[in-house]
Amino acid sequence: MLEACLAERSVLNDDFLRQLISVGEVDLLVGLPTFNNAKTLGPVVQAIRAGLLKHFPRERAVIINVDGGSRDSTPELVKAASITDLQLSSEVYTLRTLHSISTISGHGAATGPALHTIMAAAELLRAQACAVISPESINIDPAWLERLFRPVYRDHFDFVTPTYRRHKFDGLLLRNLLYPIMRALYAKRIREPYPSDFAFSGRFCNHFLEQDTFDHDESGSGTEISLVILAIAGSFRICQSFLGTKARAHRDSAELVPAMRHSVGPLFSSLDTNFPIWSANDGAQPVPTFGPESELTAESVRVNRKQLHQMFTSGVAELEPVLKSILSPQTLLEIQNIAKVVEDDFRYSHELWVKTVYEFAASYHKSVISRDHIIQAMAPLYRGKMYNFLVENRDASGEDVEANVEALCRTFERLKPSLLERWDGRK
Amino acid sequence: MALPQDPLWYKNAIIYQVHVRTFFDSSGDGIGDFRGLTQKLDYLQELGITALWLMPFFPSPLRDDGYDIADYRSVHPSYGTVDDFKKFLTSAHERGIRVVIEMVLNHTSDQHAWFQESRSSKDNPRRDWYVWSETDTRYRGARIIFLDTEMSNWAWDPISKSYYWHRFFNHQPDLNYDNAAVREEMWDIMKSWLEMGVDGFRLDAVPYLVEREGTSCENLPETHVIIKELRRKLDEQFPGRLLLAEANQWPADLRQYFGEGDEFHMAFHFPIMPRMFMGLKLEDRKPIIDILQQTPEIPEVCQWCLFLRNHDELTLEMVTDVERDYMYDVYARDKPMRLNMGIRRRLAPLLENDRRRIELMNGMLLSLPGTPIIYYGDEIGMGDNVFLGDRNGVRTPMQWDGGWNAGFSTADPESLYSPLILNPLYGYPAVNVQSQRRSEHSILAWMKRIIGVRKSTQVFGRGSIEFLHPANHRVLAYVRQLKSETALVVNNLSSSAQAVELDLKRYEGNILIEMFGKNIFPRVGKLPYLLTLGPYQFFWFRLRKI
Amino acid sequence: MWQLIVGELTRAMQELVQDFAHFLPRLLAMLVIAVLGWAFAYFLKIVVRGALRLAKFDKLSESAGANQLLTKAALPSSTELMARLVFWVVWMGFFLLGVEVLGVVGLQEYVSRFFLFLPRLLAGVFIVFFGLLAATFFYRAALLAAVNANLPSARVLAVSLRTIIVILAVSMAFEELGLADRTIIVAFAIAFGALMLGLAIAFGLGGQDLARRFLERRFLHDKQEQKQDEFSPL
Repeated sequence: MLEACLAERSVLNDDFLRQLISVGEVDLLVGLPTFNNAKTLGPVVQAIRAGLLKHFPRERAVIINVDGGSRDSTPELVKAASITDLQLSSEVYTLRTLHSISTISGHGAATGPALHTIMAAAELLRAQACAVISPESINIDPAWLERLFRPVYRDHFDFVTPTYRRHKFDGLLLRNLLYPIMRALYAKRIREPYPSDFAFSGRFCNHFLEQDTFDHDESGSGTEISLVILAIAGSFRICQSFLGTKARAHRDSAELVPAMRHSVGPLFSSLDTNFPIWSANDGAQPVPTFGPESELTAESVRVNRKQLHQMFTSGVAELEPVLKSILSPQTLLEIQNIAKVVEDDFRYSHELWVKTVYEFAASYHKSVISRDHIIQAMAPLYRGKMYNFLVENRDASGEDVEANVEALCRTFERLKPSLLERWDGRK
Repeated sequence: MALPQDPLWYKNAIIYQVHVRTFFDSSGDGIGDFRGLTQKLDYLQELGITALWLMPFFPSPLRDDGYDIADYRSVHPSYGTVDDFKKFLTSAHERGIRVVIEMVLNHTSDQHAWFQESRSSKDNPRRDWYVWSETDTRYRGARIIFLDTEMSNWAWDPISKSYYWHRFFNHQPDLNYDNAAVREEMWDIMKSWLEMGVDGFRLDAVPYLVEREGTSCENLPETHVIIKELRRKLDEQFPGRLLLAEANQWPADLRQYFGEGDEFHMAFHFPIMPRMFMGLKLEDRKPIIDILQQTPEIPEVCQWCLFLRNHDELTLEMVTDVERDYMYDVYARDKPMRLNMGIRRRLAPLLENDRRRIELMNGMLLSLPGTPIIYYGDEIGMGDNVFLGDRNGVRTPMQWDGGWNAGFSTADPESLYSPLILNPLYGYPAVNVQSQRRSEHSILAWMKRIIGVRKSTQVFGRGSIEFLHPANHRVLAYVRQLKSETALVVNNLSSSAQAVELDLKRYEGNILIEMFGKNIFPRVGKLPYLLTLGPYQFFWFRLRKI
Repeated sequence: MWQLIVGELTRAMQELVQDFAHFLPRLLAMLVIAVLGWAFAYFLKIVVRGALRLAKFDKLSESAGANQLLTKAALPSSTELMARLVFWVVWMGFFLLGVEVLGVVGLQEYVSRFFLFLPRLLAGVFIVFFGLLAATFFYRAALLAAVNANLPSARVLAVSLRTIIVILAVSMAFEELGLADRTIIVAFAIAFGALMLGLAIAFGLGGQDLARRFLERRFLHDKQEQKQDEFSPL
C-alpha cells in the first residue's frame, strides 16, 4: 500500500501547480508539447496568441507548454507570449490577462507524458475546451484556434480531429493503413486518426484521465491515436474541422518505424480491449465535418521510389523466418511472389495489402512473437505498398488519389470477416 | 469645530456629491432645498465626510438639471435664497465640512439675460459674449458630446438669423472666452461666491472653453492660459480654495490641466472608473493596472479625484470599442440602461445589490491614490429608475425612512420633483437611512466604519503607490507609503476564494496589522507571503516593524 | 575333518542367513522407498506437466527457439521433457535415499554428491534455456533493425549475434556444471577473440565503403535532403 502511494508520482510538480493556482479557472486551454522546437516555435506561439485574442477576446484562456527537457530556449519562447500587467511596453491590446506558462516533464520527445500533464492541468483548471497544437505546425494561422475551439466551446462536440490540405504523397501511412482500418473496424470516417492538432472538451478530458492508459504506456507513445479511439469507444460526439495546409515533416518525424510504433501499435492494441465494439460494427458512418474532409495537392515532387522497392524485396527475403510466424503460408507466398517481380511490373494489390494488415493484426492479438517485433516486421511490407502507391499515383490528381483511397477502404471493409475469423483462432 | 487649516486639505478629503433638490425638502413643495440640506448636516457629519460638492443650484430653466444656468449670482427659488445658502455654508463649516460648488464656465442657458441680449441683434454689446457664425460649417473637427439628442454643435437662432455654437444641448450656448469681458465677468462671479465662504469650485466642461479652426476644439493651449489666470487670482485673493476640473479625457490629456501646479488642484480620473467595473466582471486586475500605469505623475500639490458613480451616466467614452461592447453586455443588457455612450445606473444595481462587491468597490475607491467622492444615496445602496428620461433615474429623492415620501418631503407624492424608487428590492421601504441606522451591519454602518479607517491615516490620501504583480491575476495588490507609514492593500476581484503569494521581500521583518479589526497577521519573512481571500474580500494592512 | 568342514559351512550359511536376515528388511525398506518414490515422482510429473501447460511453457520455449532444437534432436516437446526430467530427478532422489538406507558405505558418498550436483544441474538448464530465449529475441531484433535500416546482409548479422549468445550461454552452463570448464572457457575465449579480430579486419578493410556511407548518412543529412522531398508517414 505504501509502495503504491510512493510509486504514484504526480505529473504536476510543485512549481507548475503554483503557476496553475495563479491561472485559476479558464474557459479555453491550449496545450503545446515541445522538445527542442525553438526553430519553429516562435511563429506558432504568436499565431496561437493572436487567434485567442481575435476570436475569443472575452474568454479566460491559458497557453500551457509541457517541455520534454529542451536544451534550446523553447520554454522561454512560450513564456514570452504572456500578456500581463507586468508588460508595460506590450503592443498587443487585450481585455484580460493571458497566461502562458511552461513546465518540464523530462520525457524527451515522447508526447504521451506531455499530453497527460496537459490534461491534468485542464482538469484542475476546469477548462471547458482544450486544444493541443503541434510545435511543428508552422503553417498555423490564428483562424486555426477558432476552427478547433468553436466545435467544442460553442457547438458542444467532445472531440475535434483536424483535416488538412496536404500533398497527395504526404501522410501515406494514414491513407493506406490507419484511416482505412479505423473506418472498417471502428466505423468512423476519421481522416486524421493520428492528429497532431486537435481539440477536446473538459468532459472528455476527465473521462480519459479516469482510464489508466497513461499508467500502462510507460514509453508515452501513441497517445494521440489512443485518444481518438477512446472517443469513438466512449460514444463521444466527434467531428472534424478543416484547418489549412499541414506543414511538411521535420526530418526526425519522417522515420517510418517510430511512426508505426506510435500509431499502428496502439491501434492494434486497442482491438483487444475494444473487440465487442469493432466486431459488431457494420458500415462506416461519416463524421460531422466543418470545411472540406480532405484537400490534396498534386505538385510534382522528387521521391526516392527505388529505395522503397529495394527495401521491400530485401525485407521479404531476410525476414522470412519472422514473417513465417506472423503470416499465413498463402499470404506469405503471394508476397514472396510479388517480391520476385521486376520493379516496373510490381504491383501490391489492395486485396493482398488488406490481407497482410489483417493477418498482422491477428498475430499481434495472439502475440505470436514480441509485439514490437511484429510492428517492425510490417515496415518493409508497408514500404512495398507505398512504392506501389507512388508509382500508380505519380501523375494522378487529388481526386484520383481520393478515389484510390476510397477503393482501398472498401476492400478493408469487405475483408473484415477474415479478420474476425483469424481473431478467435478458427484459421 | 473650525475647519482644519491645511493648504492640502483636499488631499485627505472625503467628498460627498449631492444635489440640493434631491436631499431634503423643508418647505413641503416636493423639492429639496438649502434649509433641508442644513437640517441633514448632522447625518453627513456622522457619516464622516469632510467636504460637500453641490450640483448647480442657480436659477435655471432646468432643462439640463441646472447645468443650464440663467443667473450666476443667485439661488433657484425652489431651493431657497442666497441667505439660506449662507446659513447652510456656516453650518457646514461649523461641522468641519467644506463646500465646493459648481461653476459652469463653458456655457449658459439660452434663458440667461446675456444670451437674450446677445441674440437680440448683431450690434448688441453682448453679441460677442457667445460664439456666432453665419454658417454651420466651422470647427468641423469638434465631436458631438450628447450623441443621443444633438445632431450638430451649431444651432440656428431664428431671432438673430445666425448659428450659435453649443457643445452640449442646443439650449446651452457656449460663452466666447476669446472675449476678455467674459473672462472678467466670470471671475467676478466666482469671487462673489468665494467671498461668501465657498471653499472651491468644480469647473464644468473646461476642455471646451476655446474653439479654433482645424482642431478638435478640446484641450487647446488658450484654455490653459485662461485657467492659469483664474488660478493665479484665486491663490492671490483666496488661498486654500479649490479648483476641481471636470474633463473627460485620457490621463495623458488630463495631465495638462494640472499645469505645473498652477492650474487645477484636482481633476476627475474618468478612465479608471469604468475599468474598475470591468476588472470586477472580468475578475482580472489588468484593466485597472493598465490605466493606472498610463496615468502620468502629477505635481505634488495636485490630486486625482476618484469616484464610482455620479449624476451622469457611467461614461464609456474613454474605453476601446471591445471594452465598450463588453461593458454593455455585462452591465447594461437592456437598452433603457444605455445613454450617450454610457450606462445610466447607480452603484448598487450595477453590482446586482451584492453587498460584497459594493464593499470591495468602495474599498478600492478609498484606498487607491486620489480623493474619493461618494455619490449621495450610494452609502445606503440606493437603486435607480432607468425609465425616467435623460439621467434622472440616478437623481431620485434621498430615502430617509420607510414612511411618507421616504421621509424626503411632506408634500403630495405626485408633486415631488421626481418619482421615488418603489420596487421591493431598492424601494424606500427596503432601503432607507432610518432602518440602516438601527443595524450595526448595514451598508451605512459599514461605510461609516471604512471612512473612519480611511481618515485614521494620511497614507491613502497623500501616499505613493507601488503595485505588486502576484501571478494570480485575480488579485489587485498595492503598497501605499507616506514617510514612515506603509499600508498594504489586497483586493480579490474574483467571485471565488483565491490564494495569492505576494512578493514582500522589501518589507521583510514587518508585522502586518489588519486595519479594521487591528489584529496581527504573521510577520513578513523571506518566502513569498501567502494570503487567502474569500470571494470579493479585501484586506488593508498597516506594516509595522517593531 | 568332514565334521569340521560341515560345521564351518553350516556356520557360514547361518552367518549368511543372519546377514541376509539383517539385510532383507533394509532391502525391503529400500524397495518400498523406491516404489513410493516412483509413485510420488509420477504424481509430480503429472502436476508439473499440467502446470507447465497452464503456463503455456511450450509457447515460451517456442519463442526461445528451444522447440526447434528439440524437434531436430527427435526429442519430445519441452513441457514433456521438463515433466520427465522432474520425474527422473525425483525418482532418482528417492532411489538414492533408499540406497542410503541399505547402509552400503561407499554408496552414501555418491548419494550426497548427487544431491549436491542437482542445483547446479538445474542452474545449468536454466542458463541454457534463458540463453536460448535471449538469443532468439536478439536475433529477431537485430534482423528487424538491420532490415529497416537497409543494412546489407541483415540475416548474417542477426545469425552471428544469435550464435555468439548461444555459445556464451552454453559455455556459462558448462562452467556452472563444472564439466571441462577450463577447456570450454579457453575455447570460448579463443573463438570469441578470433571472431572479433576477424570482424575488425573485415570491417576495417572490406567495410570501408559501408562505414563511410553509414557515417555520411548519419552526419551529413543536409546534402541528401536537397536531393529529394521529405514526407511524413503520418
